[in-house]
Amino acid sequence: MFEDFLDRYAQSNAIRNVNTYYKMLFGIITMIVSLVSTSPIMPLIIFGLVSFVILFKAKIPAKFYLKLVMVPLTFASITFVFMAVWFGTGSYIYNFGIFNLGVTVNGFNLGFLVFARMMGGFACLAFLGLTTPLTEIFSVLETFKFPEALLEITMLMYRYVFVSINEAINMYHAQQTRLGYSGFKKSYKSMGMLLGNIFIRTWIIGEKSFVSMRSRCYDGTFNTMDESDNIKSIKLKNLVMLTLFESILIIGVYFTSSFTVF
Amino acid sequence: MNSIETKDITYHYPNGSNVLENINFKVENGSKVALLGANGAGKSTLFLHFNGIIKPTSGTLFIDGEEVKYDNKSLMKLRQKIGIVFQNPDDQLIAPTVMEDVAYGPLNIGLSKKEIKERVKESLKQVGMEGFEKIAPHQLSGGQKKRVAIAGILAMKPQIMVLDEPTSGLDPKGASHIMKLLYELNKKGITIVISTHDVDMVPLYASKVYIMSAGHIIKEGTPQEIFSDVKTVRDANLRLPRIAHLMEILDKKDDEFFCKPPYPLTIGEARERLSKI
Repeated sequence: MFEDFLDRYAQSNAIRNVNTYYKMLFGIITMIVSLVSTSPIMPLIIFGLVSFVILFKAKIPAKFYLKLVMVPLTFASITFVFMAVWFGTGSYIYNFGIFNLGVTVNGFNLGFLVFARMMGGFACLAFLGLTTPLTEIFSVLETFKFPEALLEITMLMYRYVFVSINEAINMYHAQQTRLGYSGFKKSYKSMGMLLGNIFIRTWIIGEKSFVSMRSRCYDGTFNTMDESDNIKSIKLKNLVMLTLFESILIIGVYFTSSFTVF
Repeated sequence: MNSIETKDITYHYPNGSNVLENINFKVENGSKVALLGANGAGKSTLFLHFNGIIKPTSGTLFIDGEEVKYDNKSLMKLRQKIGIVFQNPDDQLIAPTVMEDVAYGPLNIGLSKKEIKERVKESLKQVGMEGFEKIAPHQLSGGQKKRVAIAGILAMKPQIMVLDEPTSGLDPKGASHIMKLLYELNKKGITIVISTHDVDMVPLYASKVYIMSAGHIIKEGTPQEIFSDVKTVRDANLRLPRIAHLMEILDKKDDEFFCKPPYPLTIGEARERLSKI
């Protein structure tokens, strides 16, 4: 299924073996740069650059990436339209004439900026998600003294998301064969039953897993094998290239800081 | 000495329904014991007592002659000594990768990283899953998951292993592989207790058999003793091994002289009996 693909690409993409710290530095710093930009140009450029890396360096199939991009694109577009019409004050670009609604300059600029930031930030997140297995990200987070309880919950969630999705799919198929989704009203009712059932099932699975964990001497402490890459093993040349790249981006942010479309 | 011994264990839910009643269950050191029973007989509930997950409402549990105490330290030691492999491997595989999951037990015990790595390697080798260290559990098949679950318990080096329906849901080759593995482990000195519906496998494997029905133990003995009492076996919603059933039919319906009780229970025994004709 869809989530299975994400996980599979993370395990088998072309840059999987690049140092995890390096990928995380790249992803997070680029995301921050994209988010602090005050004009929409740099985030959009970042979106283009990072997408390039994803498609041509990590060799993720374009069809899959396009499908993935659809999600934030839809959301960002809707946000853009709403902000353009309802936010901001000032001169109108286009006046609808009724209810004092119209596309304002401020609204448009703000909306477009938010749109650009969303796409830029998404590209960086997608980069991390598609090129780095989550288990390695966990190791890195642990090194950065991420709260243990949160890490433990995240790791358990990661494992059990797949179990739950599998159960949900099975239930969905079972409902389909009994015509549970053969109409609008029926679909709603079936979906409700599915969600309620999944909730109960995951609770039960949680209880059983807890019994298993206690049987294996779980005592509340969080221990891991800590097999992550070493931050020191990033080659100096690569570190310099990364710093150069990010510096160029930051300079770009500075020089385009006052650019607006209108 | 008995590895596990229960004296009159009774367990019932808060709402009063009796799940287990006056269970006297003994497992001799180094033996292979099978617990037979229909669904809902109480097998899994009994097993949960052995790890201190459940406390009996009344009665006592002795492990290696000592009464079980329920403070944290004693429970830790108990859970190292007795490893339980549950029926559904998805309930047991909790970590993002196979390696981390098998290492879970040893990590909690507090062993050194080096020791843990060795144990993980050894356990995975024993179950035939070496090379799967970096694989995520959801990418494994049912049989592979089951083997990883067993490896996770093996890594804790238990003296006693309790397995709840180890062959359920496995294809014949997978089931045979697991039973062979359990046989080898027993030869190395691990006491094995299994619960199962697979009556055909019981005479091949177990030296002592208990039958449970509705929370009671209704018969105990060697496989031959158990399956000679055909009525009890059938009353407990179980059946005879196919070979024994065939012999029973040949005896009762066709009155064949070579099929008189005691019925052979396995292919090997039947072959021996028939070759004497």
